Amino acid sequence: MEWFLKNTDFVLGLTLTHLWVSLVPLFIGSVLAIVLAKFVPKKLISPTNGLLGAIYAIPSLALFVALPAIIGTSYLGPTNVLVALTIYVLASMFFSSRDSLAQVPDSANFISKAQGLSHGQHFIHVELPLAIPGLIAGARVAAASTVSMASIGAVVGVRNLGYLFLDGFQRKIPDEIITGLVMIFIIALALDFLLWLIGRLLTPWTKKRVLNV
Amino acid sequence: MFSASNIFDWFADPENWMGRYGLWNLISEHLVLSLGSIILAAGFALPIGILVGHLGKGQALVVGLSSVSRAIPTMGLLFALVMLLGINYRELAVTIALAAIAIPPILAGAYAGISAIEPATRISARAQGMKRAQLIWHVELPLAASSIIGGFRIAFIQVVSTVVLAPLVGLGGLGFGIIQGLALRDFAQVTASALVIVLLTISGDQLIGLAQNKTRVSIKQLTKRQVAKS
Repeated sequence: MEWFLKNTDFVLGLTLTHLWVSLVPLFIGSVLAIVLAKFVPKKLISPTNGLLGAIYAIPSLALFVALPAIIGTSYLGPTNVLVALTIYVLASMFFSSRDSLAQVPDSANFISKAQGLSHGQHFIHVELPLAIPGLIAGARVAAASTVSMASIGAVVGVRNLGYLFLDGFQRKIPDEIITGLVMIFIIALALDFLLWLIGRLLTPWTKKRVLNV
Repeated sequence: MFSASNIFDWFADPENWMGRYGLWNLISEHLVLSLGSIILAAGFALPIGILVGHLGKGQALVVGLSSVSRAIPTMGLLFALVMLLGINYRELAVTIALAAIAIPPILAGAYAGISAIEPATRISARAQGMKRAQLIWHVELPLAASSIIGGFRIAFIQVVSTVVLAPLVGLGGLGFGIIQGLALRDFAQVTASALVIVLLTISGDQLIGLAQNKTRVSIKQLTKRQVAKS
């Protein structure tokens, strides 16, 4: 606690970096996952599943340092971490996105078509809203693991909360490591709550139904 | 920058395979550390998960533990434990940290597999005169096997990805090539090590996935198999 109070500004700076290094991949990854889940044709589903599942198994540090050889980025710095985390979010959310889009009832699809909605309108106004509970559930899982995985980015030179682990270990300051653990835990909880809230606000009808019963 | 031939050369050099920090030794360290801690975790998590699923009590604890554990950075846990136990006991500390990482998914897999079994199945088994132990051994475990292995699969992914960080606290394993290579700017070594890690992890994951599919069994299939046995 004492260490934290002495280094508040430093920790807050790292926290901000941590937040954007997690939020950018979360946003891009989940959008990509939903788009892929919607547009990958049925025939290609199981190979896509297999490929994303295999990628998901790759240890993050290995993926961080394997990317430069593939996409030609530099070894240190945030780009590899951002790309790798985006891929993990995509891999983890693809399955849940497909399931939640598939769970949209046929009657809803049928009615919206009968009312003359175009494909785009149908997706935005019918499919997406009805899939939101499942999508949010998937995003919550992805958010927690992304925030925790982002800390490994510190090994390849991203100055986020993971830096507190490396520095605290080298300089033998247990409080510094504990500060990192607690801050990451708090960010994960806050994001989880935020996603829950967004889900709640976007699906007001689920709440109404509970009240009616 | 370097090209694919640099990586090929790196693999072709026998120096990189032999000795304390050669690939063979690092691979075996990597596997011993990962598998050892997964087995340790299974010793705790399997009996508890099976019992929780069987008795239908304590689900909230299992579910809570697995969601809370997702928010705890494995890297921080590793460093904190090594610091707590002291650098002299780092091997023990890393094993405990890895086991702690493996426990929640194994627990959740066992619990979920067994609690998903329909009550009617359980009641019929009891009505046939099966004892509690027989019910667990002959009915619940075979039906839950696929889900249990699924738990191990997630544990494997989590543990192996954390083992890569072991060199940061002074242990070996395949992460060594990445950490040392980054420090020395030997990017052929970094990429080659990453490649070995990727291949090892994906093949391990696929192997467990295969076992997961092979053990997936319906009640009908299970009944047939038991009838054939008796």
